[in-house]
Amino acid sequence: MDLGLDRSELDACVSCGLCLPYCPTYRVTGADIYSPRGRIALMRAVQEGGAPLTDEVVDSFETCVQCRGCEPACPSGVPFGHLIESTRESLVEHGHRPPLRLRVALHALGHHSLLLAGSSGIAVAQRLHLVPKGLPLPAKLPVRRSRLDASGDDVYLFTGCVMDAWQRDVHAAVKRVIEACGFGVSPTGGDAACCGALHQHAGLGDDARAQAQRVVDSLGDTKVVLVDSAGCGAAMKDYGRLLGTAEARAFSERVFDVHEFVAGHVDGLPGVEPLDLRVAVQDPCHLRHVQKAHMAVRSVLKPFVREIVELDDEGLCCGAGGAYSVVQPELSHLIRDRKTAAVEEVAADVVVSANPGCLLYMRQAGVVVAHPMELVARALDA
Amino acid sequence: MFGTRLRKTRPHAGDDRCVADLVAALGVERVRSDGAARLLASTDASIFRGGAAGPVCFPDSTPQVQACVRIAAVHRRPVVARGAGSGLTGAAAPLGSAVVVSTTRMNRVLEVDVENRTAWVGPGVINLDLTHHLGPHGLHFAPDPSSQQVCTIGGNVANNSGGPHCLAYGVTSAHILAMEVVLSDGEVVMLGGLDAEPAGYDLRGAFIGSEGMFGIATRIAVRLTPDPPAVRTLLLSFADVDSAAATVGAIIAAGLVPAAVEMMDRRCVEAVEDFVHAGYPRDAEAVLLIDVDGMAGGVEAQATKVDEIARGLGGRVRVAADEEERQLLWKGRKSAFGAIARIKPDYYLHDTVVPRGKLVEVLRAIHEIVDRHGLLVLNVFHAGDGNLHPIIAYDSRQPGMSEKVREAGREIIEVSLAAGGVLSGEHGIGVEKRDFMPLMFSDDDLDQQARLRGAFDGLCMMNPGKVLPSPHSCSDITELTEAKGDLWG
Amino acid sequence: MGLIRSPESDPILVDFASEIGSVGPVVVRGGGTHWDLGGGSDPAAREVRPPEGIVGIRAEEMTVEARAGTLVSELHEALRPFGQRTSLPESPGSTVGGTLAVGWSGIARLGRGQTRDSVLQVHYVSAEGRLITAGGPTVKNVSGFDMCRLLVGSLGTLGCMADMILRTRPIPEVEVWHRVVDVDPAEVLRRCRTSASILWDGRSTWVLSAGYRADVDSDLRALSELGSLRPDHPPDLPPIRWSRRPSDLFDMSRADAAVGRFVAEIGVGVVHTENPVEPSPPSPGTVALQRRIKDALDPTGRFNPGRRVGGI
Ligand SMILES: Cc1cc2nc3c(=O)[nH]c(=O)nc-3n(C[C@H](O)[C@H](O)[C@H](O)COP(=O)(O)OP(=O)(O)OC[C@H]3O[C@@H](n4cnc5c(N)ncnc54)[C@H](O)[C@@H]3O)c2cc1C
Ligand code: SF4
Ligand code: SF4
Repeated sequence: MDLGLDRSELDACVSCGLCLPYCPTYRVTGADIYSPRGRIALMRAVQEGGAPLTDEVVDSFETCVQCRGCEPACPSGVPFGHLIESTRESLVEHGHRPPLRLRVALHALGHHSLLLAGSSGIAVAQRLHLVPKGLPLPAKLPVRRSRLDASGDDVYLFTGCVMDAWQRDVHAAVKRVIEACGFGVSPTGGDAACCGALHQHAGLGDDARAQAQRVVDSLGDTKVVLVDSAGCGAAMKDYGRLLGTAEARAFSERVFDVHEFVAGHVDGLPGVEPLDLRVAVQDPCHLRHVQKAHMAVRSVLKPFVREIVELDDEGLCCGAGGAYSVVQPELSHLIRDRKTAAVEEVAADVVVSANPGCLLYMRQAGVVVAHPMELVARALDA
Repeated sequence: MFGTRLRKTRPHAGDDRCVADLVAALGVERVRSDGAARLLASTDASIFRGGAAGPVCFPDSTPQVQACVRIAAVHRRPVVARGAGSGLTGAAAPLGSAVVVSTTRMNRVLEVDVENRTAWVGPGVINLDLTHHLGPHGLHFAPDPSSQQVCTIGGNVANNSGGPHCLAYGVTSAHILAMEVVLSDGEVVMLGGLDAEPAGYDLRGAFIGSEGMFGIATRIAVRLTPDPPAVRTLLLSFADVDSAAATVGAIIAAGLVPAAVEMMDRRCVEAVEDFVHAGYPRDAEAVLLIDVDGMAGGVEAQATKVDEIARGLGGRVRVAADEEERQLLWKGRKSAFGAIARIKPDYYLHDTVVPRGKLVEVLRAIHEIVDRHGLLVLNVFHAGDGNLHPIIAYDSRQPGMSEKVREAGREIIEVSLAAGGVLSGEHGIGVEKRDFMPLMFSDDDLDQQARLRGAFDGLCMMNPGKVLPSPHSCSDITELTEAKGDLWG
Repeated sequence: MGLIRSPESDPILVDFASEIGSVGPVVVRGGGTHWDLGGGSDPAAREVRPPEGIVGIRAEEMTVEARAGTLVSELHEALRPFGQRTSLPESPGSTVGGTLAVGWSGIARLGRGQTRDSVLQVHYVSAEGRLITAGGPTVKNVSGFDMCRLLVGSLGTLGCMADMILRTRPIPEVEVWHRVVDVDPAEVLRRCRTSASILWDGRSTWVLSAGYRADVDSDLRALSELGSLRPDHPPDLPPIRWSRRPSDLFDMSRADAAVGRFVAEIGVGVVHTENPVEPSPPSPGTVALQRRIKDALDPTGRFNPGRRVGGI
């Protein structure tokens, strides 16, 4: 069956296995079928060897977190992220659609006011103990959100969908820091509602492209677009490839993770007393493996906290993976257990994560987590 | 560990009573018999594609491994242990619908005894994880195959693996004290011991390098090596391969034993540099990556001497400025095999060892062979001990290509042996090199090895069809050439 | 059809093989320095002398090939001009083959490595009287099963070794023995990275420091902080050998009558004592396995009958 995979991309894999230990699902199962090498071999078997798309083959593809930890580990440069995205899209085309509740949720992401209202609804329900525990929701969703007003016209701050609904405080902190760097911030709000990353990961390619196009259209000038969610940033930097237009490529050039941007202006920030904290940095996969901008988090944070420590797990995924924790709760929890063990190991006061999904997911496991910019903002305001 | 996930997969009809018994003994979450799992357990990192796995088991204790072996025996199925599947000879590729025993879940460091510098580990512990784990104690596990980030200690033991730093520290055999092994009759025996000189035959030594054909190691006692107080990494580059090879000879002849002496030729350097961006010189025809380690005085003395020798032979010398640069250079070296896919989709390699004094001659002969066949070869190897890794990069889909590659491989082996070398320095024999064994050993020699194998495994059910060419292999348990079976039935 | 030089082409090996023959009990006698090990040999066994002499020193390969009957001391004498030696211990009259058959390492094991790790290739005669090649000539080799390791320490019960290729090592720039009294030997081990040997008799500690001069000097400085260091020779070793875990040694005491006078190899676990010790019984599974190996390689039990290895 044709999975729409580029032959030369598949061929790049020589089955050496060097990527295996960097794959969270292989790490927690020890099974080839949950490894990048295994997934590639199955893609090949299906596309070129006539193997049927059995439940187990589908399971192998669907259990991929799409963290892309395997990519930088691969000496042969296999573009795994691309392979799995195409595969997932083909699965959907062949009737292996994501679960209904996920599709409904993903649909909501593009409808910003609906999302905000829905989220507030859940927040109220939470307070009434009507929401089952274990859903990947913040323990207490905000019922009301503070307003995020534009402070100028120098840069965009991409506010996104879930992040804006659940964690507007983070946006506020980011805004505060960018302003301190001397820039006026223009939050993007409802028009550029959702980056489409989650749709793409779920194999809903058309939806993803539609979202992407909307974002490109609504932010159609030349200002840089700053993103404080690593997952969104990674997706937006890839619009050029996703949409394949010159316009999209130009747009992608303008996208920066907020840490990349602030790292370039950190000298301009006022010198303040560092927070008396030992901070562990958790690298969101899409910041580290995809955007490769994770070092910027450290340089931004360094002047503002007492100590930065590294987790001893070489950037292995936390298991959040966008909607992964909902669709694959079992593997997702096992992966998170490894992460929390690594966190305990370093005995930090707080863990920082530059991605809202990771942040919430770890917080659910009882880890004290903040967005790096929240700490910077707090130090500036202290 | 991954309980309910596996519970979702149903045993397949084709896979019979053996599967049912395994499920009953191990629990459904530890047995997979679906086509996808079996397909993936049928290969390792080599180009051998004839494997045929039966059910794949994920035991997490010695009794569970025993159960796998006993049940397989009842059903007259071979048993194949599988670590990370990073082997390069097809040794872990099962023949005859074997029951595959994956050790990846026996992956705990069970005990670290700092005072005695030993540790007990599960066979599925990843080599680099162990060294990582030992970091705080200032100790490490010395064998460091280039695959160390993924390969298991069990696989290292089974293949008697080497690595760049085995030049000074010795291969796996020198770093294993004891292991608990499940034999084909289901018995558990302890080979070797933790005391200085265990009594009796060196069963430990005989087991190491037995490629899974003597039994399954379920617990391994490793010797730990103190981290060297000082290390210096030198990158030497040369305008021709001959000077690089001559430098290796001169270093050894000068009585130096660097911790590692690795060579890469130009094509290999280019592939590697594209991946790591470590500043490898793209204009050099050959580079040597050398580690000297030990105490400060010795490191200084050795580095000075290496520098002098290299310059004398026309080399350029760069010393890694810091740990970061060192690590990056080494990452490049260790990624070399994988990086080669940037050039062609398939690679085939041998790992013959030749006398160090014959390096120049054999490398030339290899180039001659490869050119004659119109193929492309890259060289990246453990030059310090003459362990070659000529990698032929090719595209298996081109008609007649695979045959040409194999023929060139055979000629490479022949020139290596004729130069006084051996068939394999560290990757082992597996299936890929099995039929070359008579080039190195007489019938009588092979008969002795077969007898040793028979003493460990009288049933001939542990990983049959490997290492020993017929008629020295016993394939009576099942017709190993049996068609692949219907994986997807 | 093999590409490796066949032992059959070497008349000395062929002669040795025909002397061993294919029937009747036989034992190869080296220097006889450890003749009673494993319970001594059956007097009915025919004694055969192994061939002698160094076949070749390949200094640039750091290997040497010698006949089994060559004295270790002679081998080392010949290697000295090349600045090399092997890991094999030297005791007066001991041969290369005998040393491998016994398998013990020397007291400088910390620095010079283990005897068993130094063997690269062995030519031996099988029970059927055939010349067999185990291993290969290069410094690294994993072709086939490791018969070499099996032969080391097998007391001539599995095959009759005729000649062997051994790995050599460079002789360090400096090697000096010192003695220091009333210090914790564990502390000596910790402080002296260049120690090739640390011997302890419950009171005195002897250290053989070996390596580059600068390193040896710095280690000796560190050691002299512990107590006064005096140049010395290694002590005489009591005749009996115990095998322990390295950490077991620190509990030993001169006052323990069951031990008697002892010299312990710190960091290794070997103890040289006056008093014999009951070896701990091997596990039944291991005995059966050893028995099977013996039966497989020497079905009629003609090699060194009477000699017991590891409980069989
Ligand atoms: C990129 C790359 C670089 C490499 N570099 C090196 C190198 O530098 N040096 C080197 O020596 N090798 C190297 N190798 C080869 C390979 O990694 C080693 O042989 C490694 O030791 C195999 O370990 P594994 O866990 O992957 O074993 P597998 O491939 O899974 O198995 C190998 C053999 O071991 C047996 N086995 C596994 N576990 C057990 C057990 N518990 N008990 C008994 N038998 C068992 C299997 O049956 C099989 O015969 C490299 C491979 C790759 C892909
Ligand atoms: S590291 Fe790359 S080439 Fe190697 S198995 Fe993984 S994806 Fe394939
Ligand atoms: S993307 Fe992540 S989960 Fe998927 S195969 Fe790669 S490393 Fe594994």
